[in-house]
Amino acid sequence: MMCLRRFSAVLLLLVLLLAVPAGAAKPIAHREVLPNGIVLLVAERPAIPMVVVRAFAHAGAVLDPPDRAGLANLTGALLTRGTAKHTGPELDSAIEFVGGNLSAGAGRDGLTASLAVLKKDVGLGLDLLAEVLLTPTFPPDEVKRKSAQIQAAIKRSEEDPGTVAGRALAKLVFPNHPYGVPVEGTVESVGKLTRDDVVRFHAANVRPDTTIIAVVGAVSVDEARREIQARFGAWTPPAEPPVTTPPVSPGGPPRTETIEKELTQATIMLGRQAIRQTDPDYFPLTVASYVLGGGSASRLYARVRDEGGLAYAVYSYVSPARYGASFTVSAQTRTAEVPKVIDIMREELTRMTREPVTERELKLAKEYLIGSFPLRLDTSSKVADFVVAVEEQGLGLDYGDRYKERVAKVTAADVQRVAAKYFAPDSFNRVVVGAPRP
Amino acid sequence: MRPLRPARPILVATLLLVLAAGGAAAQNSERVLAATLDNGLRVLLQEDHRSPIVSFQMWYRVGSRNETRGSTGIAHFLEHMMFKGTPAHGQGEFARLVEQNGGQDNAFTSQDVTSYYVNIAADRIDLVIDLESDRMHNLKLDAKDIASEREVVIEERRTRTEDDPGGFLGEEVSSIAFKNHPYGAPIIGWMEEIKRITPEEIRAFYKTYYMPNNAILVAVGDFKAPEVLAKIRAKFGRIPKGPPPPPVLAVEPAQNGERRVTVKKHAQLPIVYLGYHVPNQKSPDAFALEMLSTILSEGRASRLYKRLVYERQLALEAGGDYNYFSHDPSLFWFWGTPMPGQTPEAMEKALLAEMEQLKTEPVSAEELQRAKNQVEATFVFQEDSIHRRAGLLARFELIGGYAHKDRFVEGLRAVTAADIQRVARTYFSDDKKNVGVLLPQP
Repeated sequence: MMCLRRFSAVLLLLVLLLAVPAGAAKPIAHREVLPNGIVLLVAERPAIPMVVVRAFAHAGAVLDPPDRAGLANLTGALLTRGTAKHTGPELDSAIEFVGGNLSAGAGRDGLTASLAVLKKDVGLGLDLLAEVLLTPTFPPDEVKRKSAQIQAAIKRSEEDPGTVAGRALAKLVFPNHPYGVPVEGTVESVGKLTRDDVVRFHAANVRPDTTIIAVVGAVSVDEARREIQARFGAWTPPAEPPVTTPPVSPGGPPRTETIEKELTQATIMLGRQAIRQTDPDYFPLTVASYVLGGGSASRLYARVRDEGGLAYAVYSYVSPARYGASFTVSAQTRTAEVPKVIDIMREELTRMTREPVTERELKLAKEYLIGSFPLRLDTSSKVADFVVAVEEQGLGLDYGDRYKERVAKVTAADVQRVAAKYFAPDSFNRVVVGAPRP
Repeated sequence: MRPLRPARPILVATLLLVLAAGGAAAQNSERVLAATLDNGLRVLLQEDHRSPIVSFQMWYRVGSRNETRGSTGIAHFLEHMMFKGTPAHGQGEFARLVEQNGGQDNAFTSQDVTSYYVNIAADRIDLVIDLESDRMHNLKLDAKDIASEREVVIEERRTRTEDDPGGFLGEEVSSIAFKNHPYGAPIIGWMEEIKRITPEEIRAFYKTYYMPNNAILVAVGDFKAPEVLAKIRAKFGRIPKGPPPPPVLAVEPAQNGERRVTVKKHAQLPIVYLGYHVPNQKSPDAFALEMLSTILSEGRASRLYKRLVYERQLALEAGGDYNYFSHDPSLFWFWGTPMPGQTPEAMEKALLAEMEQLKTEPVSAEELQRAKNQVEATFVFQEDSIHRRAGLLARFELIGGYAHKDRFVEGLRAVTAADIQRVARTYFSDDKKNVGVLLPQP
């Protein structure tokens, strides 16, 4: 058991898409499209005898039918629970006997199967990875078991104020889009899912023409191509074109929700829709968010935590995704101080819109965002996650270089202009979880 | 990619740490440049030129085990204060300088150690050496800063303990399991004592434990080790050696009967914890306990997951955990969260039945081999991260020398099914268990 100095979820959230490669010297990964449409990405990291693979299909919760919330999540969780060749326990034993990891699950935009194995076991690992993606059997008793586990986990997650607040906020920020619905669904919606739903979802949406496979580690491009082609080359897409999802639509007037819980601390989240990386204003927005609540030198950290002693965790962040983005400001504080913390958040949001950030703040944010890049790609898993993310969001493998250039060009006037557009406090939805004081 | 809340972090964090320690380490130890400065600072440097970065870590041999009754949480409180400035680097400047140079930093306090790290571009290592040597000796510990940071620590405690059913129960079980040793107190401290601790006590604690002869400096990354050592000598070498910190004399007496605590708290599902006193790495039984922990909990083929979660569908999650690196003997933990509709009584009974089986039947050859392979592979995986490599060197140095890393692997490889059965019989005695049950209240 450890006590961290600082709440670190922020770092995890920021890891993926704020990353910036240093210099344009060498592409971060080799990219090619296989004949059946799979995008293959390979990054060689020869020093450590291990291989990490991510197979990402555009089969996330955005594709859940409106009355089937949680379907992608259930489908993802069931991939490793039985294939044409192996039962779930057999898959578990096979991969774990060689000390490897094989897992699968869905998020908002996609479904990912992940593999980590020693170099010597890469053949076995890829065999199993291909099985779980291509030939899952979704045995009825496994469907029943996994549904019950997911329902229990949803119930359990009601204990976690951050999860409760995040779900409520998503609903307010994206009222007319699947992003407003929890990936895992609800206890009720999961209870209604059937094996047929899962089989159909898999058949329609897990398909080579929307799949990205990243292979990272002690493997050459030729080797990776050969091994992937051997296992995935005969995979053919279904006749119907892939299902499309509309981008998010504006959310309507901001709303406030209070969820009463018997807790000593309240979780506050302010959130609204924002922009993704394809919008040039994304870069000033990222800098603005960093100045406001991005790190231990940010304005909110200084006022709420360092000076006020009001919170252990306080931060702001932009969450870009494939079909839309959100911007969130969050803190946890003792019940009595909720109004004060909300006031500070609103004041600091307003200040960002009214006056330019100082040169010192601007420099700090830009240098951090640009300079911390190598730390964000220092393991094979991080590289795999990054290349999949830029590919699936359509940003291109040179995104990191462009990001670096764009961030470097951001001026204090840009930050203020973009803040004026996205930081007006009255444009935020607000969720408070805890024992409220109005 | 699990969207839902992961397993209770309290035990899992340690498990990962311990597992990360397994495996074929031999090839690395000889590449460590090790030195002890005249003032006692232990320095371990390892070059890794794959990325232009460095993980720079300071490990102080002080944690909650060094605290006295009435002052629980002081080690962790001081960890927070380490970011509040020195005369040379004022409030907030540590974070500002690190971030401005593209670095990431954090710190943690455990029962045995307090650790600080900065991961940063390798060409900025001078900055880190400067900052870390400065705050080892010159911390301000201003009363006003202490007052505001106290509120932050209190908020942290609310998040981790008061409002977290698992954290709350874990604290209660530890406190009944140890009636004398400081491992019974929470790392973050009891709320009343966080509120009480005075600036004078924090200053005295800093002076007693933050000195070169009570610290280990580890850096792994893209640098030339002899050059970095010279820089470290130049900056840290000026700090005077201090008197050896007082030893922790408390010994936990043998447990003479079952102890049990039932907590009623607002929660969705019950939780069951079982804790048994076990020896630490100084005992020859430690390797078998370590393997046992892997067999019980690592992966979906592990015993507790496969039987209790998968086959019987009794538990939403279940596991067991052993802390090999514990400075003093600590607990082997078991835990389980019953599925809705299942009772904590059934959960406890099932965990105890698993223990009985470990005593009466040897684990299978396949289970044992799988666990060994998992530990070795995990070790290779974590070599991929310079941050984890540095942490591992420090962990082994803390228990007697970084070269212990090599013996660790050999020790694990030698464990037999009979060893595991023997340690289960020796330590998992039914009348020496510590039981905690959380009964959810609506």
